[in-house]
Amino acid sequence: MRRYVQTPGPIGEFSELSLAQRAGPLDLLYTGYGLLVVVVVVASYVLGAFGWLSHDPQAINVGLINAPPFTSGHLLGTDFLGRDLQARLILGIQAYFLPGLLAITISVAGGSILGVLAGYKGGWFDTIITYFDNLLDSFPRLVLILLVIAAFKPDIYYVMVVVGITGMPVIANLIAGKIAFLRQKSFIEAAHALGLPAHTVVLKHILWLNCRALLVIQATLGMAEAILVETSLSYLGFGVQEPTPSWGNMVQAGANYFLQGNFWPSTAPALAILATILGLQLLGDGLNNLLEGKRRK
Amino acid sequence: MAMDAGPLLAIENLRTYFYSRAKRAFIRSVDGVSLGVARGETLGIVGESGSGKSVTALSAAGLVTAGPGVISGRIDLHSNGTRRNLLEGLENYARFTEQDGRVMAVEKDERGWRKHSDTLMAGVRGKEIAMIFQNPRSALNPYSTIGKQLVETIRLHTNFKRESEAKERAIHWLERVRIDSPGLRFDNFPFGLSGGMCQRAMIAMALSAEPSLLIADEPTTGLDATIQSRIVDLLAQLKTETGITTLLISHDISVIQRLSDRIAVMYGGTVVETGRAAEVLAPQATARHPYTAALLASIPSAETIRRKSYLQAIEGEVLDTIEVPRGCRFYGRCNRVTDAIRENCAGIEPPLAEIAPGHKVRCWLYPAAEKA
Repeated sequence: MRRYVQTPGPIGEFSELSLAQRAGPLDLLYTGYGLLVVVVVVASYVLGAFGWLSHDPQAINVGLINAPPFTSGHLLGTDFLGRDLQARLILGIQAYFLPGLLAITISVAGGSILGVLAGYKGGWFDTIITYFDNLLDSFPRLVLILLVIAAFKPDIYYVMVVVGITGMPVIANLIAGKIAFLRQKSFIEAAHALGLPAHTVVLKHILWLNCRALLVIQATLGMAEAILVETSLSYLGFGVQEPTPSWGNMVQAGANYFLQGNFWPSTAPALAILATILGLQLLGDGLNNLLEGKRRK
Repeated sequence: MAMDAGPLLAIENLRTYFYSRAKRAFIRSVDGVSLGVARGETLGIVGESGSGKSVTALSAAGLVTAGPGVISGRIDLHSNGTRRNLLEGLENYARFTEQDGRVMAVEKDERGWRKHSDTLMAGVRGKEIAMIFQNPRSALNPYSTIGKQLVETIRLHTNFKRESEAKERAIHWLERVRIDSPGLRFDNFPFGLSGGMCQRAMIAMALSAEPSLLIADEPTTGLDATIQSRIVDLLAQLKTETGITTLLISHDISVIQRLSDRIAVMYGGTVVETGRAAEVLAPQATARHPYTAALLASIPSAETIRRKSYLQAIEGEVLDTIEVPRGCRFYGRCNRVTDAIRENCAGIEPPLAEIAPGHKVRCWLYPAAEKA
């Protein structure tokens, strides 16, 4: 069945308090930490993209295999081939950044279009989206991704296209619910009565002015989702392929040496995943509270 | 502007029905309404909730599109030297099955209907017919400043297409609706303004397109009593300044009394009385529809206060417009039925008959009804 998720938005509960005044300390903490994570991720992406790394991430040093952290020259130690972990961690973000953005773009753009069609046109658009949603809900996403990999090749971009498409119904539902909620508001009726064309009302007054916060939040959560999916796939060996580093395949490669007491080659990327996903989720949560005006009980 | 002959807006036998899925029946919100609004005049429509006054206005603005609603009749708009029927050709998209004057079933091509309605309304809604609503605060987009919203309508409907020109024009209009320091208010969000100011901004938005007809649907409902009277003053001032034709809808007789030139009293989806405001609402008048008399008796006036008499509630419930009685719609609640006319009242719907020049009443009490 179609779910109408009504976000109890700030309509009618506006106050003149500034953002900082409305915010609880936890919201600010979450958002602050999340933004820090975003800055670190973007910085790492730039460092990796231009190759500004302290070590060559692919340089093998068989004399220094599984070196522990704080070994001279290797702050985080080395992996099972003696490659510098810090450089590989920084380079590893390459596997997520652009593919993750692709997934977000697909899910936000596609979800908005479907949501607008379902919410505004209704009728058979609504039916199609409901069935699409049910179809995706009833099918394990990882299996779908593995199918795509089997049919094409284990390329992270293929995976992210699937992640993007499977993320669409959630956003479509949120947007459709919000539109159904907004359409009863008299300012939408008033906009029609003032003779504004339908596309202006939908795109500007509904989607841009009233749903942008929602979309930003969904985008943050989508990035976290993309990282998690890649990690699961890498652990299965279907993610980014060696020697290109990704946090997922680093965890997987390092795990073989875990029980020998060499915990750092898998723990460092695992912590990076943890910190990043936590940051993105908290950012989404914090933004939700700040922008959508929800108060913590 | 050349003065065209005839009224600006002529509504003829308008019927707007909604389908109630729960009751599997048509709700006859507007059932055969004929009205005319002359150029420059203010027509006040008054009636209880559910009498069909708002739906009449929404039909005229082409805003009744929801679900299996059905509109038939004519709505002629004479402006800029042309006459157009705002319901032209819509009958092609809906098929009625009627049985002794009652609509029993409707088949409707909703997409075609809506599309056609939008083409008919293009260049009319907002441009020729502008509307203001009740609860002004919720009629403005909470995420945008009033200035931006005003600029948007100005650029859409007038020749002030450049951003800077439109802004100047917007501030001019904020000034005209007497918002203090309009330059500063321009950048305010609706939640930063009082309800009265929001309504002023809304009026500015509606008038900035320089429409030929302004529909004010309960413009003072949802505002404080003091603000209400200020908004009424503003509307009165704007009327003398711009001479705009207004269709004013309110259940508040005092608002109607202050602003209207002519009045139409609606009950159960039809007009039961229409005439010049002074005549219909004159305290001494005796020739009027029993419903109008009952409405007037239910509000406090200087007269009732002086005499310390009680206000009279109208007995009974507002007519359920699903099961419309065969005779007069007000028969069940009427306290002026006499034995001489009882048979007529119960069995035949009275026509809207002229009892004095320009004053029409739908009641068997007046001999004119027999002749009509």
